[in-house]
Amino acid sequence: MITVEELEGKQAITWCTGCGNFGILAALKKAVIELGVPRHEILLVSGIGCSSKAPHYINLNMFHTLHGRAIPVATGAHLVNPDLKVIVNTGDGDGLGEGFSHYIHAARRNVNLAVFIHNNGVMGLTKGQFSPAAQRGYVSNTSPPPPGAPMWPINPVALAIAGGATYVARGFSGNQKDLVTLMVEAVQHRGFAVVDILQPCVTWNRKLTWKFYNERAYSLQEEGHDTTNKMLALEKSFEFGDRIPVGLFYRSELPDLASGLALPKDSRLRDHETDRALLQQVVNDLTL
Amino acid sequence: MDFTINTGGQAGQGIDTIGDLISQVFVKTGFYVHVLKDFESRIRGGYNSNQIRVSDSPVYAASDKVDLIIAMTKDAIVEQRSRLTEGGVIIFDEGIEFDELESCHLSTPLEKTAKEVGGSTRMTNAAALGAALAVLQFPFKLVENALTDKFERKGKKVVASNVAVAKALYDLTTEQFSGTCSQNLSSIKKGPSKDLLFINGNRALALGAMASNLKWISAYPMSPSTQVFQDIVSQAYKLNIGTLQAEDELSAITMGLGASFAGARAFVTTSGGGFSLMVEALGLAAITETPIVIYNAQRPGPATGLPTRTEQSDLLFMAHASQGEFPRILLAPKDPVEGFEVATRAFNLADKFQVPVMILGDQYYADSMMNIPRFDVTGVSMDRGLIAADGPDPEYLRYKLTKDGVSPRAFPGDAGKTVVHSGNVHLESGHITENPDLRNAMVEKLMKKVPHILKTLNPPTIYGTKIADITLLTWGSTWGSVYEAVNLLNAEGVSINQLHFCDVYPLRTSTLKTVFKKAKKIVAVEQNATSQFARLVRMETGLGVDYHINKYDGRQMTARWVMTQLKEAGMV
Repeated sequence: MITVEELEGKQAITWCTGCGNFGILAALKKAVIELGVPRHEILLVSGIGCSSKAPHYINLNMFHTLHGRAIPVATGAHLVNPDLKVIVNTGDGDGLGEGFSHYIHAARRNVNLAVFIHNNGVMGLTKGQFSPAAQRGYVSNTSPPPPGAPMWPINPVALAIAGGATYVARGFSGNQKDLVTLMVEAVQHRGFAVVDILQPCVTWNRKLTWKFYNERAYSLQEEGHDTTNKMLALEKSFEFGDRIPVGLFYRSELPDLASGLALPKDSRLRDHETDRALLQQVVNDLTL
Repeated sequence: MDFTINTGGQAGQGIDTIGDLISQVFVKTGFYVHVLKDFESRIRGGYNSNQIRVSDSPVYAASDKVDLIIAMTKDAIVEQRSRLTEGGVIIFDEGIEFDELESCHLSTPLEKTAKEVGGSTRMTNAAALGAALAVLQFPFKLVENALTDKFERKGKKVVASNVAVAKALYDLTTEQFSGTCSQNLSSIKKGPSKDLLFINGNRALALGAMASNLKWISAYPMSPSTQVFQDIVSQAYKLNIGTLQAEDELSAITMGLGASFAGARAFVTTSGGGFSLMVEALGLAAITETPIVIYNAQRPGPATGLPTRTEQSDLLFMAHASQGEFPRILLAPKDPVEGFEVATRAFNLADKFQVPVMILGDQYYADSMMNIPRFDVTGVSMDRGLIAADGPDPEYLRYKLTKDGVSPRAFPGDAGKTVVHSGNVHLESGHITENPDLRNAMVEKLMKKVPHILKTLNPPTIYGTKIADITLLTWGSTWGSVYEAVNLLNAEGVSINQLHFCDVYPLRTSTLKTVFKKAKKIVAVEQNATSQFARLVRMETGLGVDYHINKYDGRQMTARWVMTQLKEAGMV
């Protein structure tokens, strides 16, 4: 059992006061404890941005990688040691911009990762430019009016479902209880699991605020939703206006990537040693 | 005896199959064989060839003259005519309409005989083999033995049909061919030869990597590197190797870094264009001190360049790729023998120094085949470098500052340790810092490794006399052509030798400095336009070469070409 004290971060937090990331970090700590696995079996992999600093603030194995590249790094680590519970902390700028192709290909591979998107609709760390998830019309230094951001936001939930992810949910940084449940389920799910986490950026985003989400977010599960129906899940994923659905959209069981690779049955690649006699036979078969 | 057979035609016509069959006959009868693959970037059509050089003494490179051509198309007959030596022969099927016959042309019923005697046009290969070897007056018994060995796994009937077809064309040609061939092999007493590998540089690297306990490879297909990935994938289930075709090269290398971070030896394979995409992650490997081995089978660039041709033009790019400053190792094998050894060394160096190690091949190295002694994979030694002691250690520091800059590795999943990697400048713990003193310490940690790396790398080799008037400076796959040129010039009485580098970066300079003092003229011979290695030498030593020989048409230089360049320049 992991204790709260053991998870105490080693670094001073650099997020702004009131940042939605605090809620995500708090939920992550609770989820890790609730998972009930040894601390060394958890690995956090992050990209670049405010979201991706999260692993420095919780005392676990971690790899803080490059902008957008957390998913492939996590994929490699998971496949050579499938005992690890591998969690990706990414943002909308990170994972849905630079890293978008990795996101969609990881979904179709159904690789056993849990991806938490800290989604605030803004590039916070570089001072507020419009991100892939920014609303059309969002005004920033790189998206002046009219019209502000001249394009519509990416839809990570719809794209994950369409891409082939087998656990797709949306959480809200302001709803700890449900967010913890979604995080735990995502990690426990065998396959590609996404939790799109709504998170206000209090410094830059004047539209997607705590108030905005508090007024609109509703629970899919409380209203009743069939999480096995892919088309219904897709339909729900396009609801983003006066009401914003939060909770589990879609879940299915399909073979994961590891089951389709030549991984050793009784050990892990990280410990496995190639049988040189077998390889010598391969060489011998090539001789003339 | 030293002659070359060219099998040429369109992509999709089985050029490689005929080429392989002919090569194998000579390998099995005890000759030295070198095969150059010359092909276009297309699935069907065009002009492709296998250029098979055969000799009774060792051969290290392709030749540019051709003594016997097996042409599958009219274009092949016409276009290759100018390369034919005096006394050479062009064999082609009688079905090809070609009426400007000279005494060097042999029009013969290859397909018809294959069908009538063997029952299938697929045996046209055996027919062509029979015709070619009859022209060379090669004893048929040896052909029969080789065909038997080649096809025995497919059953007696297949062997018998192939032998019958080859024999029919052999006899027909012996009877009807009225021209003369400059090569006469009637009196050879070679073979049989056993236990030889007949492989190219790509396959040697793949075997070397697997012998090094490679456990992860991710790649995106790109000529001319793809075979390495395919060869390893083909053994993945037998040997338990994690393999994944990624969505792009940046994904491939970052997967590799994840795998290496978690404890497995990782390899990524690509060509220059793919390496361009990987560069961002090269820096991540460096700052996180995550070992990785990268293979770049170079081809002429920039951009798509010449996809199936050869060049040595990525050296300085790879030596300097990425923002920031950090140690890296570049190794450039000269041939398949060295390729196997380089692969095994690359993984050990990557683990020992926790740096990226890059292997520079090129299309010529990658695709050219030679017969070489069988590799012993059981004797390959593995050095995983410094690993933290087993057991809990709450104070474990991934980037502990040490005397030589190398810190003990632990892996996520190790009980009782927390492993922290960050692409940011970090503390010894791996967490972020912006402290100037720690920044200095971490830069110095990386750079401290360089002198140790230099001590571990192999020095260059001098071929020929220790001291000579002229020294040819070479690296990588041009070794063979230049080596042969040096031998031929030495035989003409020219005082010339070769200083050759496999371990090209960081650059060992002591031999260089001595040779620069002793030789009257130093000539850089490179398969690129700007003498990149010579520029590296000047950068590292301040020493400039006297003359440059460069080839950048995408076709590998030959010994004769090198000699011509030297003679035209008045150097010899």
